[in-house]
Amino acid sequence: MHEISLVQNLLQQLRDIARENKASRVLRVTMLIGPLSGVVVDSFTFGFDILAREDDLFRDATLDIVVPPAIFRCSSCGHQEETDGERPECCTACGDRIIIAHGGDDLILQQVEME
Amino acid sequence: MCDVCGCHSHSHDHGHDHGHGHGHDHQHDQPAGNEALIVDINRSLFAANDAMARSNREHFDADGVITVNLISSPGSGKTTLLEHTIDRLGGEIAIGVIEGDIETERDAQRIRAKGVPAIQLTTGGACHLDASMIHRAYHQLQKEAGGDRLDLVVIENVGNLVCPATFDLGEHQRIVLVSVPEGPDKPAKYPKAFTSSQVFLITKTDLLPYFDFPVEEATREALVLNPALKVMAFSSTTGEGFDAWLEHLRSLVNRRRTQSERA
Repeated sequence: MHEISLVQNLLQQLRDIARENKASRVLRVTMLIGPLSGVVVDSFTFGFDILAREDDLFRDATLDIVVPPAIFRCSSCGHQEETDGERPECCTACGDRIIIAHGGDDLILQQVEME
Repeated sequence: MCDVCGCHSHSHDHGHDHGHGHGHDHQHDQPAGNEALIVDINRSLFAANDAMARSNREHFDADGVITVNLISSPGSGKTTLLEHTIDRLGGEIAIGVIEGDIETERDAQRIRAKGVPAIQLTTGGACHLDASMIHRAYHQLQKEAGGDRLDLVVIENVGNLVCPATFDLGEHQRIVLVSVPEGPDKPAKYPKAFTSSQVFLITKTDLLPYFDFPVEEATREALVLNPALKVMAFSSTTGEGFDAWLEHLRSLVNRRRTQSERA
């Protein structure tokens, strides 16, 4: 459950951003969570719901989560496949089994809406 | 100077992860009344840890120290591996150990009993070590070593194949262990631990007669995920296959010594 510590890190960043922008309420937070980031979206959302409630700044904030596809590239023929995070057993183009993930491991605070 | 402890850390890290330039493009207009303000940030939540990890790595490099990060499930033999490694290499390589556990000093006590400096990090429930914990522990370790130069720092991460794979500590090599009783399907089930590591150790091979653990299949599964992995299989207690592991550490340290002499 490292999601809780990552949510704490997020909330600290949001406090700084709100202060810099002289905002008193955070309304919407957009996070991009790659399927290979090692972060479970449900756990992250759960952590946000629990921790955000403790601070007036975030009490009514909505958390939007964007999940991009994972991209796997065959190391033999270069064929690329997009999946929801599951690694293909083998390349659909040439059948090779050595398939390397490219990206999909990001955890990015994209946008904040506040007032 | 680093903000955490005032040391002369080489990276310019501030403990929070935006620099002087405030790389995100926030707008400086004041929100008028209750009008919503939308600000694009596009900043990784791992950025603070990654910056601290880079600073740690520069620190280790400046000190001529090689650092490895051991990750595995609980009970796969990380501490036993360390004890036997110290027994065999302690005379030729100056080893220091950073132990990560949720509770207790037990592992550090086991290592200190071998006459090697050890720092115990107790995370109090957290499932992984992060780069700032390692930063603090490394300084404590240097203090405990009493000014003696260290060649090799081994970080024993919290027993967990999931979360430690996500956090760079600034180590030079990440080493993932799977013991024979755990079964050969760990690479398939916990791919990130294997795709982010450079070395895969199969431990407790003395138990192979009692468990269904096809070493070749486990090796193949791991190499499918990460063809660059160096794989070794051995038993720390009987010593079978252990020389390859010792040789691996020796060559890491010797390469570093040669680099330091050239510099």
